[in-house]
Amino acid sequence: MSKKIFLDYKRCIGCKACEVACEMAHGEARIRVFEFPDLFTVPFNCRHCEKAPCLNVCPTGALFRDKDGAVAFDPLKCIGCLMCAVACPFGVPKLDEENKIMDKCDLCADRRAEGLLPACVSACPTEALKFGDVNEILWNREGKVVANLKSSAEKGEGEKAYVIL
Amino acid sequence: MAEKLVPVVCPWCSVGCRFYAVSVNGYIRKIEFDYDHPTVNRGKLCPKGVASYQFINSSKRLKKPLKRVGERGEGKFEEISWDEAYRIIAEKIKEIKETYGPEAIAFLGSEKITLEENYLVHKLSKAIGTNHLDFPGRYCQYSNAPARTKVFGSAPATNPFEDVAKAELIVIWGHNPAETAPVFFGQYIEKAVLDNGAEMVVIDPRATRGHKYASIHLKPYPGTDLAIALAMLNVVISEELYDREFVQERTVGFEELKESVKDYTPEWAEKISGVPAEDIRKVARLIATKRTALLVNEGLNQHVNGFEFALALANLIAITGNIGKEGVWSGVFPGAQCGFCAAMSGIAPNKLPTGKLVTDEAARAELERLWGFKIPDWVGLDLTSMIREIGNTIKMMYIVGGNIAKSAPNSKWVQEQLKKLDFLVVQDIFLTETAKYADIVLPAAAWFEKTGTAISAERRVQRTYKAAEAPGEAKPDWLILVELAKELGLGEYFKYEHPDEILREINSVIPVFKGATPEYLAEHPEGCFFPCTEPGEGTKILFKKGFKTADGKAHLQPVKWREPPEMPDEEYPLWLTNFRQVGHWHTGTMSFESPSLKKRWPEEYVMINPKDAEKYGIKSGDLVKVETKRGSVLVRAEVTEHVREGVIAMPWHWNVNVLTLEETHEITKMAELKAVAARVSKVEE
Repeated sequence: MSKKIFLDYKRCIGCKACEVACEMAHGEARIRVFEFPDLFTVPFNCRHCEKAPCLNVCPTGALFRDKDGAVAFDPLKCIGCLMCAVACPFGVPKLDEENKIMDKCDLCADRRAEGLLPACVSACPTEALKFGDVNEILWNREGKVVANLKSSAEKGEGEKAYVIL
Repeated sequence: MAEKLVPVVCPWCSVGCRFYAVSVNGYIRKIEFDYDHPTVNRGKLCPKGVASYQFINSSKRLKKPLKRVGERGEGKFEEISWDEAYRIIAEKIKEIKETYGPEAIAFLGSEKITLEENYLVHKLSKAIGTNHLDFPGRYCQYSNAPARTKVFGSAPATNPFEDVAKAELIVIWGHNPAETAPVFFGQYIEKAVLDNGAEMVVIDPRATRGHKYASIHLKPYPGTDLAIALAMLNVVISEELYDREFVQERTVGFEELKESVKDYTPEWAEKISGVPAEDIRKVARLIATKRTALLVNEGLNQHVNGFEFALALANLIAITGNIGKEGVWSGVFPGAQCGFCAAMSGIAPNKLPTGKLVTDEAARAELERLWGFKIPDWVGLDLTSMIREIGNTIKMMYIVGGNIAKSAPNSKWVQEQLKKLDFLVVQDIFLTETAKYADIVLPAAAWFEKTGTAISAERRVQRTYKAAEAPGEAKPDWLILVELAKELGLGEYFKYEHPDEILREINSVIPVFKGATPEYLAEHPEGCFFPCTEPGEGTKILFKKGFKTADGKAHLQPVKWREPPEMPDEEYPLWLTNFRQVGHWHTGTMSFESPSLKKRWPEEYVMINPKDAEKYGIKSGDLVKVETKRGSVLVRAEVTEHVREGVIAMPWHWNVNVLTLEETHEITKMAELKAVAARVSKVEE
């Protein structure tokens, strides 16, 4: 199963360390923190979809799936036709105006090649961003919920049980 | 291409994050996160940390010494050689000493330079014969530090950060750690709340970033927190919630304290602060019954009544027994990576680097023996008093890495005062607002361009190493001071070739750093906690048994309500306060030169509550004029529920100090930077 960046939105404080870390690594931030009036913040990057429309419509094969499952990108093959931008439901691929080719998150392919985490995940001071296999991360969350319910039940505090997302 | 991983300490706030600067032939190419060592940040960094080397590559860096050719403040300079710069400065120092005596010269150290460099600023000022010595940290921790020293005999944080994660209650009072110290917030506070089930209380007129985790949010008017603290003492004492055993065995002065707060009921505090009495009771009861980490910062410090407020909180910590054990936290939290480097090397008008007072004859004699020259015995002037005395008794200032023309309160007045100096030397990495008033500007090496010691908010002493070459002819501050001392004929006292040699001297002069030797710190990147009397023997938790007072007990202090020096009236009906942004640091000298930060946090604005905004016909995005009795600034309005009614708030990195008040507290000399009367009006574009 491919590895992706997951968000524990509860932990995000909107500090934009992820944006800046991405910008330092790629020259332009490929992740963006959305802020809402109630201080709710969501960092949002390419989802590297299992059925990636961008990849399906790319006429030159510039977009490809790498061995870790990331929708990666070969700039030499890109013709800047914007088809990926049209197809992406999240508006992720952006045009690099200077080079007239597309630019998108590749989950820091160069860092992964060295066994490092993507830059945004490495920086995130609250660990709101997690890099991992979808099932592993979801099982972990589920495990926390179960553990919490169990310990509450053991203490006879059923009504205090709460769900940690 | 020789690529090196150089371990460095982050140059911004005082959390003390470590990472690697990836250095290629004297340039930093990128950074790498350091997950391997038992570091405080566990490899994590905030946006400032990630972008931290951008400013050192700015084209605006000073590369050669400058001599003023235009009017003061105009910023017109010509380049000169180092030799000429040293010669001019030395001649001027000698001339001023002969005409007015050394007491006409004032020195400023800095929270931005290393421990070694602050120590040298101190040594040089004393060698020249002046005790007019301070640093811009005067406007930082100088309410909390003297108050805690009065009660506990010592100001620094009592516990390591890991104890915050173990606390049962986190009280964030006048502090915005989610923005000022995101790594601390994420790695310790969030873990306490989200993973360990701690409760959080926020006390602030604004909704700060982290307040979504809080179960209670009290919103006092700025400058009225003292009333709440007094009411909490009243509740804890009258409801007998205090730690009886602790009070009896480890404190003195409880009866006087009890007497002093007996009339300060929560109902009384409600009238002053606008916070419901019942909420004050609720929080007081929580603090008294849970293991509490009490996190305070500039919201406590930067008030004229901040000293009394800090005393009240120190009393509260003591009587609730939230000190000297695991799982509690309280103490000062410097805003800069080296606040402690200046404070602990005695950068203050009345201190010696040994921590003793300049008026202490025996301590002076001991230092004279170590240093080999005579030390002046009089108490010097603090920063605000120095500025006041310019044009009168102060003829010359030597400022290392400070930007008082912007950071000091009532900055227009400060700028006028700086014009009256006979001679001003500024040693910095950029031509700051202050440097524009200088006669000679000396280009310094930035953080990452020198080796030295930094001390974090949890008392962690760490070494940072040189990762880049300084641009042009810029030199490390320590080297500039050593070379200037030689020019002054003081070379025999300043025989240093490397910062290690200065640190070795510090090991023998400053007792709390005895064990923090260059060798130990090189082998232990995680550093040690001061007081570290022997290598490797740091002190993680303070006051487990006794306090640092003469009798080892906490001296509870009676406290009285004290009004802020300026209150809203008909003409200026709003409270103006300020805050820090996650992407900027201090007066922006460095962060404004960082494209990634400047792009995301581009300009100042004023936060206005929707009810006030409606009253004045202001909408988000409108250009408004914010005025106080000192001056006015034009900014965009942001209408938001995140600031309480009757209060407006501006980020302080830009021009807010045009508006603040230079009135100071009689003991701490802290000015009023966070609660002044103001008005806003819409400006037609």
